[in-house]
Amino acid sequence: MVAFLIKRFGWLLLTLWIVYTITFFLMRAVPGGPFDREKKVPESIKRNIEARYKLDRPVYEQYYLHLASLVRFRLGPYYTPRVWIDFGPSYALEDYTVNEVIAQGFPVSASLGIVALVFAVTLGMTAGVVSAVRRNSFLDVSFMALATLGIAVPNFVLASVAILLFVFTWPLFPAAGWGNLNQIILPALCLGAAFAGYIARLTRGGMMEVLGRDYIRTAYAKGLSDRRVVIRHALRGAIVPVLSYLGPATAGILTGSLVLERIFALPGMGSHFIEAATQRDYTLGMGVVLVYTLLLFVMNTLVDLSYALVDPRVKVR
Amino acid sequence: MHPLARKLFPYVALAVCGAAVAWAVSFRRLPPADFTFVNGDEVKTIDPAKATGAPEGRIINALFEGLLAHMPIDAPPDQDGIVLMKPVPAAAESYTVSPDGKTYTFKIRPSARWSDGTPVTAHDFAWSWRRMLHPETGSEYAYQIYYYVTGAEKYNNGEVAIGDPVEVELADRAQPDQPFPRGTILRGVLVEIVKPQRQQGKDVKNDDPSKRDWVYIVDVKKEREGADKSRGAGKVERRAFSQVPPVKGKSADDRSVEKCLQVLVDFEASVGIRATDDHTLVVKLKNRTPYFDELLAFYPLYPVNRKCVEIFGSPNWSKPENIVSNGPFSLEFRRIRDRIRLVKNPKYWNADNVRLNFIDALAVKSESTSLNMYINGQVDWATTVPTPVVPDLRKRPDFFTAPMLTTYFYRLNVTRPPLDDVRVRQALNMALDKQVICEKILKAGQQPARSFVPPGLAGYESAKCGEFNVPEARRLLADAGYPGGRHLPKLQILFNTNEAHQFIAEVIQQQWNNNLGIDVELRNLEWQSFLNTLQRKDYGVARSGWIGDYPDPNTFLDMFVTDGANNQTNWSNPTFDKLIKDAAAEPDPQKRMEILHEAEGLLMEELPIIPIYFYVSINMVHPRVKGFSANIQDLHPLHILSVDDRDAANSTQAGK
Repeated sequence: MVAFLIKRFGWLLLTLWIVYTITFFLMRAVPGGPFDREKKVPESIKRNIEARYKLDRPVYEQYYLHLASLVRFRLGPYYTPRVWIDFGPSYALEDYTVNEVIAQGFPVSASLGIVALVFAVTLGMTAGVVSAVRRNSFLDVSFMALATLGIAVPNFVLASVAILLFVFTWPLFPAAGWGNLNQIILPALCLGAAFAGYIARLTRGGMMEVLGRDYIRTAYAKGLSDRRVVIRHALRGAIVPVLSYLGPATAGILTGSLVLERIFALPGMGSHFIEAATQRDYTLGMGVVLVYTLLLFVMNTLVDLSYALVDPRVKVR
Repeated sequence: MHPLARKLFPYVALAVCGAAVAWAVSFRRLPPADFTFVNGDEVKTIDPAKATGAPEGRIINALFEGLLAHMPIDAPPDQDGIVLMKPVPAAAESYTVSPDGKTYTFKIRPSARWSDGTPVTAHDFAWSWRRMLHPETGSEYAYQIYYYVTGAEKYNNGEVAIGDPVEVELADRAQPDQPFPRGTILRGVLVEIVKPQRQQGKDVKNDDPSKRDWVYIVDVKKEREGADKSRGAGKVERRAFSQVPPVKGKSADDRSVEKCLQVLVDFEASVGIRATDDHTLVVKLKNRTPYFDELLAFYPLYPVNRKCVEIFGSPNWSKPENIVSNGPFSLEFRRIRDRIRLVKNPKYWNADNVRLNFIDALAVKSESTSLNMYINGQVDWATTVPTPVVPDLRKRPDFFTAPMLTTYFYRLNVTRPPLDDVRVRQALNMALDKQVICEKILKAGQQPARSFVPPGLAGYESAKCGEFNVPEARRLLADAGYPGGRHLPKLQILFNTNEAHQFIAEVIQQQWNNNLGIDVELRNLEWQSFLNTLQRKDYGVARSGWIGDYPDPNTFLDMFVTDGANNQTNWSNPTFDKLIKDAAAEPDPQKRMEILHEAEGLLMEELPIIPIYFYVSINMVHPRVKGFSANIQDLHPLHILSVDDRDAANSTQAGK
């Protein structure tokens, strides 16, 4: 397993470097720079601003200057980090460095993502198991109809409907903003709905397959209760497709929050990402892309590891 | 995998999930603010010298105070509910203007204090303006000083000429990437500039990077630095400096060249900004400038605390834990793209009259979200609303609207056929029914524009372009050789991606098609690409807007001088250039307005732009808020607002 992790780490570094390079040149290839303004500033001032951020250099020189300044080393007291990543100053949010922006934005998106994912998994798996066990019942049909609806309706449409219902018609939640528990629920529900739908269908499919197996019949034959068979024996096998879906689900929840963060005015990574792209904030855009890459890679690795834990036939190599 | 690991996995996974959820739903409780408003886009910086937008302005106006401040005059609003705003003394107690209008002398208010308790002095202003003008600060609003103040432009763009008094900054800064505190400054007179062989005789532009290896020969004045050196005072020493000194031995010149960071004109000797004592600031202008008081009340000229900036450097000085400010509020905390919490500054000289204790400025980008929050009672003031709901909201008493000093117009690229023909440009203008755009699309009381300068500027009468007249427009187009729009090269309207711009462009496309029989394409680009395309002048017709920097026609007209940075239409007219120049030098205010009127007449005759409508400002303000008034500058000082506590008790608040 250690060899597996080391190999994965090597791949991670390579992936980050490739993503870095592509993003770097793509961002600079888009017309319009971070310091183009509607009220044009005198050429000498613009040059001064660009010189401060080394944007007056040729692109290849910017590339290695930025790459070289990305990883920092420092000798210092034992409690300070020796190696860290420094994305540099944000071009658009002039009072902050990219590290500060990400440090403030990431926890917001992470909170939202965790709540959405937990909601999606809990609701999706419960609905899936119930549907599989009570096949073709009224519950099964209505759960599966809801699941299809959740998958089909884009989350920003869902958000508009949810705001209309739960903010104005039935005032349960605030309209937008960030700062307390009330404000996380509505966006998390909208974000998680589609994933809950997928998970419900995956669980139902997995359960139905497993419930037909011989070892389940054996378990029933031993006189075990319904609940024990379903939860102890069947669920374990049915969970594998759900687990493998968690990797792409995390990706979906991360990118899906871009629009929702705008609608609910949440100060998360998605807002920063959109703004960085439209404002040509090269450093912030780069920082967010790399954090996303890292996160997805780690999530996929964790999912791969968990296969081996859940399913005895799988070995990590 | 070890069987034990497999056995423990579900429990560990559950525990991790539980911990993650517990973390995700735990929030630090935030005490509610007295007053919450939507500030629009995230504030890019709160450094007065670097900021440029309206959201930045609202925060800086609360944190800092300039010599003068815009305040509503003590008179009832007019029939449209609009209150007049005038610059009144703020950090300055009073000021006098010399009879020729060129010298301003400010008396700084003795009771004015920084938030650390130290007095605000004239030196603070002189230093702040010097910092703003310094080329390395890169202030986008530096022209707000250097258009008017003597010597400031040369200082700002780093231009020096032989015989100028200069200041040389040696390469011994404490922090090399921080322009302040500066390295050792030597003052003297520039004697000679030695350019390398390859550049001799050539006219190298002032901002050319190849300027870096020029060698400046300076007669440096020996400063009196103590009793023992007093004998050297008044004497000069000839020294040579360069940003990139030549490698020794390579140069034929055997004078040793010292490294310097830059050579600028001597600020104290040549720029007309001087603190004569702690409480007196003298500013010398190039020309009489009737609207100079308006500029002083605009945030780029607000002071910053020298000690704070020099200790923490930029941008760290503006962090809530470091910042020292002199306005009615101080900064409690900032959360990026969430909120800025302002708290009353007890050291403010007029703190007794500041009614609000805590203010939250929310960064909400979406207009619909902002309206939702307003209707839901989460915020007390929304600074914009989505266009489609304006007709429904207009009747409400909490809807505030006022004309603004802002014009919506189309730029025409006058070198691109067929727009190079003035008759085509006039025909395009006359074929537009601007009334329809205002009444059918915008619906918030916007006025159709027949001039570039908006109405409402005292003493100025706008010059008008042709009115809506289809037969005349058709005749002009036929005269230009395109009867009925035949053979006219295809036109394209360029605009930045936005629903409102799209609607307007579609209506105009249709009007031009119906009235002139010409085909028009629409092309939208997102904002930064749009700006870039505009600057490269790679367009035929392009949407634009212009917000007046100060209430004077000059802020609109001087942008169209030949090769003006914001001209961007390729239009050039020597008579127009001369009129703008003459107006700047004209001492008589009435005559000056007449000259500007004439200049606008030319612009409206030749039409490198088609004015479409004048903007209005839209604000929704909760009835419990007192002291809010609509005005043409759309300025709403936070420190004169208060909330009615009887209503406050039963209203909901963000963060409660």
